[in-house]
Amino acid sequence: MNTVSPPASWRSVLPHLDEPLPPDQSPESPAGGSDGVAVNLPFALVRQSTQNREFWDIPAEVFDAYRAFRPTPLWRARRFEDAVGARVPIYVKYEGGNISGSHKLNTALAQAHYYAKAGVKELVTGTGAGQWGTALAAACAMFGLRCRVFMVGTSLQKKPYRGTLMRALGATVHASPSDLTDVAARVGGGVNSLALAIGEAVEYAGRTEGAAFCIGSGETYSILHQSVIGLEAIDQLAELEATVDSVVGCVGAGSNFGGIALPFFADAATTGTECPRLVAAESSTTPKLTRGVYAYDKTDATGVSPMEAMYTIGSSYPIPDSHSAGLRFHGAAKVISAMRHRDQVTAQAVGQVEALQAGQTFTRSEMVLPAPESGHALAVAARLAADGGSSRGVVACVSGHGYLDLSAYQQLLDGELTTEPPAEQALVTAMDRLQPVPGLAIAGSGHAF
Amino acid sequence: MVIAESRLSLAPEEIHDDEPLNGDLLHLNSLGFVGMLVHLEDALDVELPDDLFVGRTFKTVDDLVDVVAEGTRGTEALR
Repeated sequence: MNTVSPPASWRSVLPHLDEPLPPDQSPESPAGGSDGVAVNLPFALVRQSTQNREFWDIPAEVFDAYRAFRPTPLWRARRFEDAVGARVPIYVKYEGGNISGSHKLNTALAQAHYYAKAGVKELVTGTGAGQWGTALAAACAMFGLRCRVFMVGTSLQKKPYRGTLMRALGATVHASPSDLTDVAARVGGGVNSLALAIGEAVEYAGRTEGAAFCIGSGETYSILHQSVIGLEAIDQLAELEATVDSVVGCVGAGSNFGGIALPFFADAATTGTECPRLVAAESSTTPKLTRGVYAYDKTDATGVSPMEAMYTIGSSYPIPDSHSAGLRFHGAAKVISAMRHRDQVTAQAVGQVEALQAGQTFTRSEMVLPAPESGHALAVAARLAADGGSSRGVVACVSGHGYLDLSAYQQLLDGELTTEPPAEQALVTAMDRLQPVPGLAIAGSGHAF
Repeated sequence: MVIAESRLSLAPEEIHDDEPLNGDLLHLNSLGFVGMLVHLEDALDVELPDDLFVGRTFKTVDDLVDVVAEGTRGTEALR
């Protein structure tokens, strides 16, 4: 039984990076044109993304909300170890025990708090598998905001109860592509990407009085908010007198991985100790960190948002409908990407069949049903623990529960789930016109670009 | 700072108060704009309130000066 308390401060990794993150670039189609520069981001979030301050006090309202579900449990998964033939201990940190069912509530609560404080009445967002939309719906309910969610249509179809839960929390939910926005009309039917869902949300919020677009998990401030995961894990491992040499989290854009892993990096930098290997588990369907390029790319389909330096497979890459899990984003967060470029984090890609099998094994052995996304992290943890990749121990983040993703498990049980690696030519086409990130020193072996 | 954010090499006196922030000469996006305001906070040792920004559109250099002056007054009032 852990006796650790939730942290009182978030911890930023920015002061421990060797150089600043590459600056954003002007968008392809600047919003407003001669009408000026529109601002819809609470200033507190800007500060948290740009200032080199290490510790940020968690506002009392957010801390109180955290206390309803934090600290989250961390335990040694002995039966899972046995099931996967582990040679070293595997510890898991479980973030699924809240109303939204995933780690994303950690930052959704913080973001909703700051937007409410800044006078916003409605938050609009895009979501892929639905965890972010559900978390934001819950956070909006907590802080008295209206909430509107554009969810990738095929995901909503496969996971209808995500929509039900969001609506039960008071949100309005639209399948993307919807008939509400110009950006969806421009790309036509048949596109099911998170970039488009986000683009719809950006456009809708931009023309709605009192509304603001609220992005999901890739921003530097959301990774800061997720640091509560790693900060608790460090204390909980210490309490168990456990040491690990590998930290694993799954990567959509990067907040879950950043949340579990980056506090270990900051802790090692501060104490002068060796940092565990930080391993990002991504989907082989969207393999930005293992097969992408480090380039400037769009974060959504509108082209009005700034271009960010990221590992990306190209925002125009068409993600196949057969992809069941989340992790649908084409790029990785800029802080994760910069650290990847300097070999401070590593990455492994996992197919959805292996991920769901790891999830099923975890369900049987630990009596916890993990989200398919978390299955990717568990699969990598199993690999590291079984094949000698880790010599002392692994800690993996189970980022959410899978009760609203049972259709994916049903596909697995029915033998209908397949792993389709992205087509090489489609990747080349999607990455072809991207502009490489210049001027950032490469440490270690380096990667593409 | 406006010049640097637009990646230009100009003398400050070449920028007029009514110059559009996002026009033929200057090219600011919203994140770059608010990032620049964070630097201004540091330089002027003031803290600009959150509610000065959300839902507002800034058109000219004058608008930028106004919001900093407005925020500075707010900070002074709190002291």
